[in-house]
Order: sequence, then structure tokens, then C-alpha cells
Amino acid sequence: MSTAVQAAAASVMDRVAARTARKHHPLNVHFDLTYRCNERCIHCYLDHEDHGELTTAEILHVLEELAAAGVLTLTFSGGEIFLRPDLFEILAAARRLHFDISLKTNALLVTAERAARLRELGVRSIQISVYSSDPAVHDAITKVPGSLARTVAAVPLLVAQGLKVQLACPLMQQNLLAYRGVMALAGKLGVPYSFDPTITPMMDGSGGPLTHRVSTAALLPVLQDPVLSACHPRPAARADVALPSGKPVPALASAVSSGLESFSYEDIPCSAGHNSCYISPYGDVLPCVQLPQTAGNLRHQRFGDIWYRAASLEELRSARDSELPVCGGCEIRSYCERCPGLALMEGGDVLGAYERACEMAEQKAHLAGVAHPFSALHAEQAAAVGNGRASRNEHSCDQVQLVLK
Amino acid sequence: MSTTIPWQKNPLLAWREIDGETVIISPNDSVMHELNETGSFIWRQIDGRCSAAEIAGMLAAEYEVPPEDALADTEALLQQLVSRQLLVLAGAAR
Repeated sequence: MSTAVQAAAASVMDRVAARTARKHHPLNVHFDLTYRCNERCIHCYLDHEDHGELTTAEILHVLEELAAAGVLTLTFSGGEIFLRPDLFEILAAARRLHFDISLKTNALLVTAERAARLRELGVRSIQISVYSSDPAVHDAITKVPGSLARTVAAVPLLVAQGLKVQLACPLMQQNLLAYRGVMALAGKLGVPYSFDPTITPMMDGSGGPLTHRVSTAALLPVLQDPVLSACHPRPAARADVALPSGKPVPALASAVSSGLESFSYEDIPCSAGHNSCYISPYGDVLPCVQLPQTAGNLRHQRFGDIWYRAASLEELRSARDSELPVCGGCEIRSYCERCPGLALMEGGDVLGAYERACEMAEQKAHLAGVAHPFSALHAEQAAAVGNGRASRNEHSCDQVQLVLK
Repeated sequence: MSTTIPWQKNPLLAWREIDGETVIISPNDSVMHELNETGSFIWRQIDGRCSAAEIAGMLAAEYEVPPEDALADTEALLQQLVSRQLLVLAGAAR
């Protein structure tokens, strides 16, 4: 007989993630408690009206169901979670049920007293949205004067409690070059940071936020910046923040993070529907916040029934990267961060290719030294219009050279 | 390690038993720990009341192993869990 406890973070995390994904065990849940918000960010994909949020009792019941189903990590997000007057009641219930708890917030409503309460409730990490170190840029995005100052002021309150804070900075046209300032701000505050150029359509599929998205060509200088590619997002003093892997987390990434990401998934695009899912403030269960395929509603169904019986989840689980109709044979697949949700919202097919992912993959492959990178989608398009492969490659390289000037 | 002192799980931990193995996350250091089947059996018995000797007795009965082996394994695991701050003395403050 041998009893054992293992704690090599990378191997344990990867093993647990891979095993639960393979067995479709629900491990991670991203739970939006409200879509209401005290900011009006120009790129936001949410409808901020309250259309009948889950009550406190309903949320506590959902948490009990999630615990019974074996869910371990919960990320509470919104909207702005501190607009729920029952937030601490919800967190206390999550603590009693032994969840790993992470939060996403703009921190406008964080006080020293609330920070202390978060610590008492065992919250493990808090991600705070910051768009720039320049108040004019940040506040123009949030549409709330003074918001940067209030957000930044909250960080030391949380850090003083020993809470792990990370600045998260979506990159869009309005703040593309703000990343160095955010890095400096994070360094001053002693917290890690991350950047993400992913701007998504509204949850109803309309494309308003996409008008703020940075083109792949304009993003190229950022991708090339050695400061980002060096992958040193964390000041040394906070290096213990890295739960998942111990591997360096790219400073620039495209992911809807559950808080526990793994690089060990085999032949599936991501964890959505395999070991993670999303719950809306109205009780809808989706594979991911970016994948608008409602599998069921917790006001009328049990979580376990939805997770194990929803046809849409079964269909999603059957997909394999290597068998995707277009992308499966793509020569530059390894450079691609194809997202099934964006494939559905932007390309109309959860299994299909979409322009943005192909453009990004070609740019990344080019930066990595691949000669004439050409996605499978673009190859199909070129063939369809009778265009030669060479002409598309020349166009792609023209874009690169233009930006590099 | 005393065989008579009852231990309890650190109340700030996140943990779940998944397919017979227990996954534990400590919010203090964000490290994920994993217990195998017998480790999970011991973990289940840690309730703030049972001593190491009592847990070892249950382990010996469940897995039909010599009591002395069960006690040695139990004490070794408890020691590891305590050193990683996954256990605290029963009744101790956070």
C-alpha cells in the first residue's frame, strides 16, 4: 500500500485537466452573477439590463449542484460582481462547499473592508480590468471619469490582504499601444498582467464591439515586441501566482480563462464542454461565454442533467481538431488559436474556419520564420476564385512589410 | 507526530474527489495537490475529531493491511499534509 500526495503544480494540473476533459467531468465553471455594470466599456459584449437574474436562493442551490457534480474551480464574473448585494453570501456558500474561487472585477467598489472579507473567504485570485496607465485612455474606454484612479487604488487594498491580483488588459484600437504603460503600472503595483487582443461580438451575435478590434496587420508590431514575447508577465516577487503550470504564461494570449488552463488537451480545441462551462446570470448553461449555444437552464433543469444529456454538448465533445473540415488539414494549425465560439459567431460554423484566426495564424507563422504561411481557409478561397497560391502569399507579405516600415 | 492529536482540513482549501483521487488547491500558494486512492481514504476521515491512530485503524480495516503499516502510512501522509499547511490542529484559528 502506498499513500501519496503530489504537488508538482505543472504535472498535477495537466494530469487532472487531461483526465477530466477526457472523461467529461465538469471541473471549471465560469459563473456570471450579473450583466449589470457600473462601467460602459465600449468593447463590451453584454446587454447590461437586468432581465431576471437568478435570486440568491437560486444561486446557492446551483452552487450545491455544482459541488455535487464535482466542479472544483469557480470564476465569478459579470457585469460587475460587486453590484450584487448578496456577493459575500454567495462567496461564503462557495467557501463552505470547498470551491476554488476566482473573481473578475473592475474593482471600483472594492474597499479595505471588502478586501479583508475576500481574504477571509479564501478567494484565491482576482483579475482586474485595466486598459491603460493613462486615465484619459482608460476612462474613455470605460466611459466613467475617474475610473482608472479608483481601480488602481483598489489593488494595494487587495494585495495587502495577501490576495493574488492580476491586471487584465484587452487590447483594442483605442489602447493598442498602452501595453507598455500597463506593464509599468503592474510592476509598480507588484502584480502580474496579461493582454488579450480578442474582441468578441455581442452575445446576440451582433458585431458592434468588433469595430474596436485591432486589425491583424496593426497588431503585428505588438506581436513582435520582445518585451511581450519574452513572456515575463510577473514581477519576481509575485511569481507564486502561477497556479496552472509553472510554465511561463504568455503575456499576450487569447483565452477566456477559467483560471485553470492547461496545455495538455489532446486533439480538442479547448476545455469548453469537456471539463468546463459557463453559467449566465439567468441560469443558462453554455459551453463557454464565447460559445452561445445554450445547453439548458438551471431554473428548470438540474446541472447534472444538462451537463451529461444536452445534445449540443455531446455534439461539441465529438469534434476533434484533426477532423475539422477545413482546419484539420491546415499547414499552419500549430500557430492558430482557433476558438469554436468565434468560429460560430464570426464564421457561422462551430467546426469551421474564420478569417480572424487564419490571419492571426499566418502572421504568427510568418514571425516564426515560416516561408509563405497560408491557412487552409485562404487556400480554399484562392482556389475558389481561381487565384494562385502565390498571389495570396504576396498580399500577405505586403501587409507585413507595410507595417514594418 | 502524535497519534492522538486530531487534525482538521484547512478551512480555506478547495478540494474535490475526482475518480477516487482527491485534488486540493491551496489559495495561499495556488499549488494543486493530488492524493491517490488510499490518500483520499485518509483525507475523507480527517474530520477534526479522529486521531491518526483512529484513522489508521480504519485504513487497516478497509484495505486489510497490518495495523502497524497502516499507522506508518497514515502518520507519513498526515505529516506531509501538515507541512504543506493543508491540515491544521482541530479547533485552531485560520
